[in-house]
Amino acid sequence: MSAQVEKYSFDVVRWFTVMAVVYLVVGTLVGVYIASELAWPVLNMDMAELTFGRLRPLHTNAVIFAFGGCALMATGFYTVQRTCGVRLWSDKLAWFVFWGWNLVIVAAVITLPLGLTSGKEYAELQWPLDIAIALVWVAFTLNFVMTVAVRKTSHIYVSNWFYMGMMVMITYLHVVNSLAIPVGLWHSYSIFSGVQDAMIQWWYGHNAVGYYLTAGFLGIMYYFVPKQANRPVFSYRLSVIHFWALMFGYVWLGAHHLQYTALPDWTGSLGAAVSLAMIIPSWGGAINGMMTLSGAWDKLRNDYILRFLIMSLAFYAMSTFEGPVMSSKTVNALSHYTDWTVGHVHSGALGWVVMVAAGALYHMIEKLWDTKMYSASLVNTHFWLATIGAVVYITAMWVSGIMQGLMWRDYDEFGTLTYTFAESVAAMHPYYAMRAIGGMIYWLGGAVMLYNVVMTIRQASAQRSTAAAAA
Amino acid sequence: MMDYLHTDWAAMSLSDWIGLIVTVGIFLLMIWAYVYTFHPKNREKLESQRHLPLDDDETIETENRK
Repeated sequence: MSAQVEKYSFDVVRWFTVMAVVYLVVGTLVGVYIASELAWPVLNMDMAELTFGRLRPLHTNAVIFAFGGCALMATGFYTVQRTCGVRLWSDKLAWFVFWGWNLVIVAAVITLPLGLTSGKEYAELQWPLDIAIALVWVAFTLNFVMTVAVRKTSHIYVSNWFYMGMMVMITYLHVVNSLAIPVGLWHSYSIFSGVQDAMIQWWYGHNAVGYYLTAGFLGIMYYFVPKQANRPVFSYRLSVIHFWALMFGYVWLGAHHLQYTALPDWTGSLGAAVSLAMIIPSWGGAINGMMTLSGAWDKLRNDYILRFLIMSLAFYAMSTFEGPVMSSKTVNALSHYTDWTVGHVHSGALGWVVMVAAGALYHMIEKLWDTKMYSASLVNTHFWLATIGAVVYITAMWVSGIMQGLMWRDYDEFGTLTYTFAESVAAMHPYYAMRAIGGMIYWLGGAVMLYNVVMTIRQASAQRSTAAAAA
Repeated sequence: MMDYLHTDWAAMSLSDWIGLIVTVGIFLLMIWAYVYTFHPKNREKLESQRHLPLDDDETIETENRK
């Protein structure tokens, strides 16, 4: 291993990196299974633990918190050391974060299929696990912030600002949304009720997307795109505005999830208005990332890792345009409660989050194990499987979502509904099958990545053994 | 239009005032951030930081040689 690896705390980063890839495969596999259940309900097998309602939160927790969390912790601990020129503030705390986070994931795998949930979307885990998440997350934040505090560089690079913004906001969101009165070890009630509960839930829910899956992964983008392209970011000033506009703006958006509900009308209008305004910083950031390649677009021809990073920005731009459009009341009247929302979420998740993380993970693996990927062509294979899988998935959900919206609000000349709900469900079948196939293609890409990563690590250790024997 | 913009200030609760002050404060801070970031005199100071991630390998090598 090179001298630079010894200079930094990279062992914990390696473990987070490997676990991120493992969780990507596991989490998307559960996703493919539940997508298949919707197309072919026989797969429920009359077992409560295998039903869509039980496995769906397992899928979302696995991809968001297991894969996303490990990717953020791996890249966060890696980049903060590289950009600050120092080791992590505390190795012990970093290992506490690793084991703590993974134990929470194991607990989620056990409790969610058993139906032990709080019923809050993207925050299903029960109160003992919520407390554990808060402790581990604060430990992650403390270690990161203290590493920045003891840095050797005079400036705090913008990627670190994005990570720290995420940490502060996620602590706040998680703690407030999880406030509950326990009535047993695995049973509790939210301290909020009625429409306040809904508002708090979607203030949390949308900001989990805004700060965890956007701000955190923008931290990844601002370090790894310039690094992989070997070019400085297009505009540092634009990145500063991107950061502050995102931090100040995102927190207002949650109410757009509750249009046409008991929530006061102006709240939803405000959420939609700020959502539309957020197109400006979001596109500013996407253009900033893409224009980093200005004058060197030819790199995309051979650099498959860079392809992941740039394609992720295309999806980021598309999702951050689609979301505000869907938040407007006119479009929301058609799109809400339909599969269009599911398609939108997955264009962000599959296209932006996983793609940018995969690019960063591939980059880090080469650096951390001081080798090249075992197979560059398998990286390319993964890229195309991920791109095609995501497009198939999203297209299926667009068609089914718009069809659902149109069927649900169609009236005949007597003012009665033209279609029953069951008819709309039956009409979705081909698109649900198409979605499951798209998901399967995407999962296959992740499996290829895992194989390539395992072989790369084996190759690196074989190279080290040979070098040691020769010495 | 004036009717639409009319506000009953006497009916404002403490939460309303806190919300209003935070909203206006953030709006002013955003204006300050735009002016500061895009003012020509700050251009070089900010843009000089864009090379930071590219320089980190060099920093490591330099420090390892010491």
